[in-house]
Amino acid sequence: MSSTPQATSAPSWWSKFLQGRGVRKFKRDKMAIGSLVVILVYLLCALAVGLNVLEKEDAFARVGPGWTPGFGGTQNGEKRLQDAEFRIEQIERAAAATQAEDALKALNFGALVPFSNDPEVVSARVAEAWAIFNATVEYDDLEEDPAAAKLLLDLESKVEELYTQPTGLSSLVHSLRMSLGTDLQGRSIMFRALYSTKVAVQIGIISALFSVLLGTLLGAAAGYFGGWVDHLVIWLYSTFSSIPWIVLLMVLASAFRGGPFDGTLIPVYAAFCMSFWISPCRVIRGEVMKLKELEYVQAASAMGFGKIQILLKHIIPNTAHLMFINFSLLFVGAIKAEVILSFLGLGVKGQPSWGVMISQAKAEVLNGFFWQIGAATFFMVILVLAFNILSDALQDAFDPKHV
Amino acid sequence: MSSSTDILQVKDLEMHFPVRGGILNRVQSKVHALNGVSFSLKKGEVLGVVGESGCGKSTLGKCLIRLHSPTAGSILFEGEELTGLSHGELMPYRKRIQMIFQDPYSSLNPRMTVRQALREVALFHQVPTPFGMNAYIEELVQRVGLRVDAVDKFPHEFSGGQRQRIGIARALACNPDVLVADEPVSALDVSIQAQVLNLLMDLKDEFGLTLVFVSHDLKVIEHFCDRVLVMYLGNVVEELSCDDLHKNAAHPYTKALLGANPINDPDDRRPLIVLQGDVPSPFVLPPGCAFAGRCPVAEAKCHTDRPRLERKSVDHPVSCWLVD
Amino acid sequence: MSKTKTKPVLEVRNLSTCFKTDQGVVTAIDDVSFDLYPGETLGIVGESGCGKTVTSKSIMRLLPEHLSFQKPESRVMYGGLNLAAATEAEMRTVRGDKIAMIFQEPMTSLNPVFKIGAQLEEALSYHTDLDRKARRQRAIDMLRQVEMPEPERRVDEYPHQLSGGMRQRVMIAMALCCEPEVLIADEPTTALDVTIQAQILDLMEGLKNKFNTAIMLITHDLGVVAQICDRVMVMYAGRVIEVASVRDLFHNPQHPYTQALLRSIPKSGGRQKGERLPTIKGIVPSLFNLPPGCRFQDRCEYREERCVRDEPLLEQHGNRSYRCHLPLGGAQ
Repeated sequence: MSSTPQATSAPSWWSKFLQGRGVRKFKRDKMAIGSLVVILVYLLCALAVGLNVLEKEDAFARVGPGWTPGFGGTQNGEKRLQDAEFRIEQIERAAAATQAEDALKALNFGALVPFSNDPEVVSARVAEAWAIFNATVEYDDLEEDPAAAKLLLDLESKVEELYTQPTGLSSLVHSLRMSLGTDLQGRSIMFRALYSTKVAVQIGIISALFSVLLGTLLGAAAGYFGGWVDHLVIWLYSTFSSIPWIVLLMVLASAFRGGPFDGTLIPVYAAFCMSFWISPCRVIRGEVMKLKELEYVQAASAMGFGKIQILLKHIIPNTAHLMFINFSLLFVGAIKAEVILSFLGLGVKGQPSWGVMISQAKAEVLNGFFWQIGAATFFMVILVLAFNILSDALQDAFDPKHV
Repeated sequence: MSSSTDILQVKDLEMHFPVRGGILNRVQSKVHALNGVSFSLKKGEVLGVVGESGCGKSTLGKCLIRLHSPTAGSILFEGEELTGLSHGELMPYRKRIQMIFQDPYSSLNPRMTVRQALREVALFHQVPTPFGMNAYIEELVQRVGLRVDAVDKFPHEFSGGQRQRIGIARALACNPDVLVADEPVSALDVSIQAQVLNLLMDLKDEFGLTLVFVSHDLKVIEHFCDRVLVMYLGNVVEELSCDDLHKNAAHPYTKALLGANPINDPDDRRPLIVLQGDVPSPFVLPPGCAFAGRCPVAEAKCHTDRPRLERKSVDHPVSCWLVD
Repeated sequence: MSKTKTKPVLEVRNLSTCFKTDQGVVTAIDDVSFDLYPGETLGIVGESGCGKTVTSKSIMRLLPEHLSFQKPESRVMYGGLNLAAATEAEMRTVRGDKIAMIFQEPMTSLNPVFKIGAQLEEALSYHTDLDRKARRQRAIDMLRQVEMPEPERRVDEYPHQLSGGMRQRVMIAMALCCEPEVLIADEPTTALDVTIQAQILDLMEGLKNKFNTAIMLITHDLGVVAQICDRVMVMYAGRVIEVASVRDLFHNPQHPYTQALLRSIPKSGGRQKGERLPTIKGIVPSLFNLPPGCRFQDRCEYREERCVRDEPLLEQHGNRSYRCHLPLGGAQ
């Protein structure tokens, strides 16, 4: 009775939180739980990429002929013939190289490697393949004519023999790799999209975090101290917010061009923070102006506590819910902005991102190939949607004003 | 008025809040919240401050704990002048004059447990805790009538009355001599109000507190206080003992307040004395008596000349031309 | 009392209102029954959370429908119409026209972007068929009736230009513009200063006598009740615990809670120095966690074993009723 052990206070706080009204309300919201799971999957995926489970090379490696459709989709005869030709040519070129053995060793289409590293053996089988190929080319119509169709199938199985087919785990990885097809340069769309998840999450978290921190700091200072500090901050954000954010982003992105940070994500972070700090700053400034009139803040002043202590202990912690809401809004905002910026060629460089993918898909879309733009858009939309649902649900569940 | 036992002496205290506006952010007008308030307070006394909203009673409380720096006048605490002191110079006095706030819901930081809130105060003012900080906090919490297990709870886990007790514990944590209570029971239900008033009464005796009790409720003031300061539009209109409030009230405004206060007796139905009109604007003060516009007995002189707070009998200053 | 001979204007029977919350369904007011007679002022008193506001809003059906519901046996009879089962269209003919309501905070009850004249005229256009000019004249008359100074000028002002007392006068004018039979006033003076409170109470009293309106005055201030009410209904934790004439209630309370409530108010005049106020121990129980038996038993100083076992019923004793196994008795 005489003393409550302090050690138990933290876990009991946590269990109280878990049994609280907000959490119970949240748990009943099926959509919210679903979106939470989706977001966790994305975060895990980003973490996995960050831990080099999927390397940058995987996103750049040529894994097959260009513009392969996903989900083993059917292609017309013409395209199948071209693909076969491409695969034969690749292995033939390696076998004919001066350092043929090394070239053959180096050749791979993801998990697919030449069936043998001996140039002689390879050349022999390549020749057989060419023979079938030449016979097939004779036909004009490769789909209607049964003889041509048979030849095409023979050709494809011959081409397959040129490469060892993966087994076990690596075959699973390979089918994942090919699941969304390849882009113009024969790179795995799936792996590029997955790698982009990491880029997106990274940009989202870092830009949202720094924007919120910057905005909170400036907003809290402006709201609490008032006077010239307030005037300065208001002047800053009205100036910044009078420039359309996309223009600001473009200016900043081009300012960094050629500098030491070119090719990294730092210009993107800088540009986003510059334009995103305004909304948290505004909200937090207003909240702080309200909070500083509250009696517990006055009580702290009456105690003689210093202004910084009051600000840090009594005011800023009570804006946490706004910081959290702003973080989730800016996280989504940054991801969408990255796509636009990269589409304009000002954003991410030297690595894939959803924006880069969409930008590169420009030519494909004109030719009726939608796999790359579809994959990038799908990945982004799902994440953004899940985040929006989650932040709405969180607001519903934890905002004391909602009954 | 002053004597050696006066713990607090306030003289001609004025507090004007500038109202800025326009393009150049110039001072356009002033809210005259306090216009020359004087009183003194003996050690162990309970002084009530009563008046309608906008009369400056809360501003007076906040000037005493120096949340506001008065525009003019002096506040003497045990003979030491408090106005004009810097933040650092004021520090020793801060812990000796503390405040209890009105709203039990906004007067506690929602993110601090009771323990954290009390420890912050005790540590900051280096209050001696001979049996350790935890013992000090637990003792304090029990002293205001809460259970020991309340110390690790957050404010939202308490009811309004319990929160008000925590607010009192926080004010007491630095061991003050003077406690300014700004409408401490107005936001509470009747039964809880009685509990908190009793608690304050016990604590006053136990800690030897001197209290300034700000309230709009004359019934509570009359029950709780020794003397009462009746304020109207930033002025003290009358200061009198609570023992003979109804008998001795001299100022027409005090009488009106007493009359408008509904009495709990259905057999004693009085015509609720109706004061016409509203409190005048605090931006532009009337030239004469501030109350003249609503006063039922005002004469021509009342509208042109401002009366001074003069002692009409022993310890009974009144500010009215028509009272002898 | 002669009042019992006249027919009540409003009969409330077994009114129970439940709220759907995260912790399940909670019954905010449980089996509330009372009558309201023409020309009387019925005070409803109790501490916060006792259900006095929920009662008034349930009568007017102003509670959010998706969060609350009334139990099927609830009946609110007004002129042959059961308001508890009435359609929304039927309710609209009653609200404002026959039963008007004024609220605690006059600032938030008036629309800040319209002149008060326009708001009064809008109310008039709903409930009367006056033309524009007549409506404006009527609005000015209404303001004069509620003793608003300079009504011709005030009619063209916005709510923020008025003081709290004047805003409450506008609210009363609006409520009275159709001469309703019932006026529900929910803490109409709580936000006002005492001298202004006196003005408003005086005004309501005068209007009641003039129009023979029945007033339901919800308040926590027993002083106000003693001064202007004819009968009083005391509520505790969602239950009506005592109904009596104001004299009987103040001089001879039967329910221990009523007695304790009356005692805990500081007395005016008869003060003894250092006197402690009698208090009620503990706090009002949560509606989610009501004690067994009588809802007041855990705070009651007269508690017996059967108070814990059975909840007493609200029983009629002469012209008063109370819900207690152990009424305090005394001179009736």
